[in-house]
Amino acid sequence: MHHQKALAGLALTTALTAGGAQAADIQLMRFFGDCQNEYGSVNDASQANGECGIITALVNEFNATNEGGHTVTVQTADWGAYYDLLTATYQTGNIPDVAVMHSSVMPDFVSRNLLTPLGPLFEQAGIDTADFVPAALQNASANDEVYALPFDLHALLFHINMDLMSQAGFVNEDGTPRLPTSAEEFITMGKQFEEATGQNFIATESQSAEGMMVRFFQSLVWQQGATTLSDDGTSANLTGPEALAAATFVKQIYDEGLADTGLDYAGAEQAFLNGQAGIIINGTWVVDAYNAQAESGSVPLKSYVATNVPALMGEDAVWADSHMWVIPADESRPQEELDAAVAFLTFLNDNNFEWSRTGHLSVRQSVLDSPEFAALPHRTAIANTSQIAHAVPTTQNQRAIYNAIMSEFNSMWLAGAEPQAALDGAQSQVERILRRANRGG
Amino acid sequence: MTAATQTRVLPVAEPRTKVPQSPAKRRDWLTALLFLAPFLVVYLVLLVYPLFLGIWISFRDWDLMGGDYGWIGTLNYQDLWSDPVFWRAAGNTLKFAAMTVPSMTLVALLLALAVQGPGRIRAVCRSIFFLSSVFSVTVVTLVWAMVLSPDRGLIAPVVQFFGGTPFNFLGSPTWAMPAIVVTTLWWGVGLPMALFLASLGSIPKELYEAAELDHASRWSVFWRITLPSIRHTVVLVVVLQIVAQLQIFGQPFLMTQGGPANSTRTLVQYIYETSFRDWLVGYGAAMAMVLFVLMMIFSMLQLWLGRQGDDQ
Repeated sequence: MHHQKALAGLALTTALTAGGAQAADIQLMRFFGDCQNEYGSVNDASQANGECGIITALVNEFNATNEGGHTVTVQTADWGAYYDLLTATYQTGNIPDVAVMHSSVMPDFVSRNLLTPLGPLFEQAGIDTADFVPAALQNASANDEVYALPFDLHALLFHINMDLMSQAGFVNEDGTPRLPTSAEEFITMGKQFEEATGQNFIATESQSAEGMMVRFFQSLVWQQGATTLSDDGTSANLTGPEALAAATFVKQIYDEGLADTGLDYAGAEQAFLNGQAGIIINGTWVVDAYNAQAESGSVPLKSYVATNVPALMGEDAVWADSHMWVIPADESRPQEELDAAVAFLTFLNDNNFEWSRTGHLSVRQSVLDSPEFAALPHRTAIANTSQIAHAVPTTQNQRAIYNAIMSEFNSMWLAGAEPQAALDGAQSQVERILRRANRGG
Repeated sequence: MTAATQTRVLPVAEPRTKVPQSPAKRRDWLTALLFLAPFLVVYLVLLVYPLFLGIWISFRDWDLMGGDYGWIGTLNYQDLWSDPVFWRAAGNTLKFAAMTVPSMTLVALLLALAVQGPGRIRAVCRSIFFLSSVFSVTVVTLVWAMVLSPDRGLIAPVVQFFGGTPFNFLGSPTWAMPAIVVTTLWWGVGLPMALFLASLGSIPKELYEAAELDHASRWSVFWRITLPSIRHTVVLVVVLQIVAQLQIFGQPFLMTQGGPANSTRTLVQYIYETSFRDWLVGYGAAMAMVLFVLMMIFSMLQLWLGRQGDDQ
């Protein structure tokens, strides 16, 4: 009897001292794919691979181990439809408690007060914003307030099949791939490569879905010290000589037959893994996946290396964006769910290293400086990527801007449009979009 | 001609809508209104109100998430005028309808002629041809994307067998649209076929018997009996198809996302992107108004053409 009383007393004391830490069920909305079949029961993030696997395991681990007894339920959306669905939740009222968001998209939401300011909550939870690398903290902030937990910086990379490169004789004495140092050399080397190997020099997504070549184009413009949008994000700058030089080079890659115009994202990956292309232009997010495939021996790609996009038009510079976690604003959200959401963000921040195993660059200086990060495969070759990374200027409607440039660009290699015409078309569309975006809202 | 005109004019001249004065008639009128009410409410709430709201929004800078930024006059329409993607989308939509509507009508009619009448095989064929209509657009586009895929499609091995290189239909600005037309035909031919079947079944047998006695050829039977008898159904099918195909969205959105190089971006997709991706609901509403006017013009034209036949 005394024993029971003591237990009840203990339970009461725990409940009282725990205060706000009442268990809550929260909704997480994200892209990165669905891999419940493979990772649904993995509770240890260090055992998972790839974006989808690691985030799935991180959620499982949080659900299994968090002291507050909180449960995170995941709603996965296809990448192409993700932001439309997230937008819809504000209308239906079924707003998620935590959602993933690109830093390029955040201005749309911040300017309309659709995100919860996180500065004070981070302070309470002990998340040290000073540990974020400056670029990441800047991505997550607006009007001197933090609105997101930065999770990574992701940039464009050259992923290389070293067997094909050595077949073409493009290997340095130290074993690293020899990469072109100018646009002209790129084309010359591409032709030599194709002659020596019989395979395409480049594989990249060339249809209208991802716009990988728009990211490459933006990188080339930055390399020349120019930008595609003005720094304050109010006007387009696509008709300058730098943009023309970059666009002409991109078109030339296709005109010279160095890349297959018919490849979509999956097709480009397949071609690279099948040993049908020397280099695939793709993001940091696939380093872990390609490395694992090459090591497994299940694909013709055997010797895989990742490098920065080389400086082909001047200084080193590459397109980058950032995955971040936000708490969408919802006045009806109970305090315990907000607490649970912050607890989950704290957990994700604590496990930032696990996410950086995907190939993404960590946003935490302490992780970047850690020996375990340096020990990850290929990280020495891309150690300075965050220093050369450029983000698009902060402006609303980045997705519309991106799609407008992408459609015009695709017509260069799919419909024979001239670079100048494509740039003129993109310029007028982006100007129209920016006029709307800067209407004082 | 005159008799037909008179009979048509007469009912219009009758003052039907005037409220009757006597209590009994007024009660009838109220009863009629009561019976009409459910339809009227649905019609007003779901069609008339949204239509006028849409017109009103199209003159405003209306943001999906930020709310109403106020009256901007005809700025949305001026933007449309100078937006090349809008014109491209409008052109693509008209091109799609021009390719789909005649071929859909023709294929549906040919299928209906082939499978009408008694017999088990015909009954099975009727079910099979109609079956594809029950699938959702997601299933249909998934199936056809797989059929057309140059890597793992159904067509690729056939091309390879004859020594050719598989062609990426959906990746070609020239062939992506025809590929979507074929997908739409396969998916949508069931309903117009059913309409033609019903119409063909209601042609009096005596007409065919008389033609047989006259030794009329099969072609002249079709041209002089079948086709004139189902003329109204042809008009109905064409109008329904125009209205449906001008609103094409799911197939290109799922199969090509409007690409390659904008070659399959249609008006509804552009309206969707403008309103729900870019949150510019006012601008999207202006585009929707243009689409509405387009559909109305083509439908009216078609109905008018159908009436011309009646007068002759």
